[in-house]
Amino acid sequence: MSTKIACQHCDYLMSFPVLNPGQCALCSRCGHKISRLKVNAINNLMSYSLTGVILLILSLLFPFMSFTLSGNMMEITLWQAATELYSGPYKLLALGVFAFIVLFPAVILGFILLFLVSLNLFGHTFYNSTLLRLIFTLLPWSMAEVFFVAVLVSLIKLVTIAQIGIGLSFGAYLLFCLCYVKVLTLVDKHQFWYWMDLAKKS
Amino acid sequence: MTQYSSDSAAEQGLASCQSCGKLSTVSNKFCRRCRAPLHLRKPYNIQKTLALLITALMFYIPANLYPIMATEQLGMIESANIVEGVIALWEMGSQPIAMVVFIASVIVPVTKFIILFWLCYSVRFNTHIDAAERAVLYRITEFIGRWSMVDVFVVAILVALIQLGSLLNVRPGIAALTFAISVVLTMIAAMTFDPRLLWDKLESSDQQVTNKLNITKDN
Repeated sequence: MSTKIACQHCDYLMSFPVLNPGQCALCSRCGHKISRLKVNAINNLMSYSLTGVILLILSLLFPFMSFTLSGNMMEITLWQAATELYSGPYKLLALGVFAFIVLFPAVILGFILLFLVSLNLFGHTFYNSTLLRLIFTLLPWSMAEVFFVAVLVSLIKLVTIAQIGIGLSFGAYLLFCLCYVKVLTLVDKHQFWYWMDLAKKS
Repeated sequence: MTQYSSDSAAEQGLASCQSCGKLSTVSNKFCRRCRAPLHLRKPYNIQKTLALLITALMFYIPANLYPIMATEQLGMIESANIVEGVIALWEMGSQPIAMVVFIASVIVPVTKFIILFWLCYSVRFNTHIDAAERAVLYRITEFIGRWSMVDVFVVAILVALIQLGSLLNVRPGIAALTFAISVVLTMIAAMTFDPRLLWDKLESSDQQVTNKLNITKDN
């Protein structure tokens, strides 16, 4: 039974795919991507996640954007961009925005790092399956790249009416988004659970 | 007449874990690898998807009628809803950005509503439409859902950045909240829907196709 799996999108029964680096398995009935293993996936995952976490922390420390109109200047940090709404009546919205653009991406990258490091150092640990379940539950709710598009839209909206400056955090968050998207291409549900099973057996 | 298609895991009493993908006999109740509950199909998924969609629709209506943000400039308060915001952007001369906002906050949510309602309908009334085509539609809704949040994030940024007192300040409107709730609910609705239902009636629709082919041959 363990030599078979079913497609998550159409329930087609198939033999368990064991991939070589660079290979990709598609469901032969519905074309759903079952699994993809990139070359050097674990090393890249670790390095891009670590870089992403560091960049995200950096992007919280410095000014994000500034806005100048007739001599008045206003400067915000990423933290303020996410939580300024909290001072008004829209507390729920502020919490949501903060979770979507800072908290969830950070937690996902942190958990991926924790999972891979403990897998390599200790083999199978009791919290590995919990970590994986959390990672894959949170993945659709992390919207760092959507937020970056929103930042670009607001920049263009404002450029015509005032002087807009971009701060150090802006660059850090841009680089973080690139790392995050790279991590997304490497994360694969099937492979992650397969790695955990391998660690369990040995 | 079986409930599941002949190549499926469910046909053999095997449930694929929704959380980790491990295949176990459905009598296990819980996945042995990750302890998530096991089901052949997500329980009550059509009902849940429809309930979430209708709730999302109820939040989507005020999101389009009420202002998403209000701009106060030298004592003059000007508020705009989503569509007015797009029109203002277009008239300002930034047509590409207006298109991005229009696609993200009008076309994407509407498309998602139509596709998900239609998928529920097609499963419930067993319409014989190619399962592969419907699977593509489902994947599209799953992928585009999050991009609707662009407008909400734009409001968050503008509200934080533009606070120059009476000279110029921006305040969020009620639509920002209801729109965000609507997007979140449609995302949950898409996750609740079980795409495997699209393939369960495969045999009967296959038979229809062959019947049609036979008819054309006869002619």
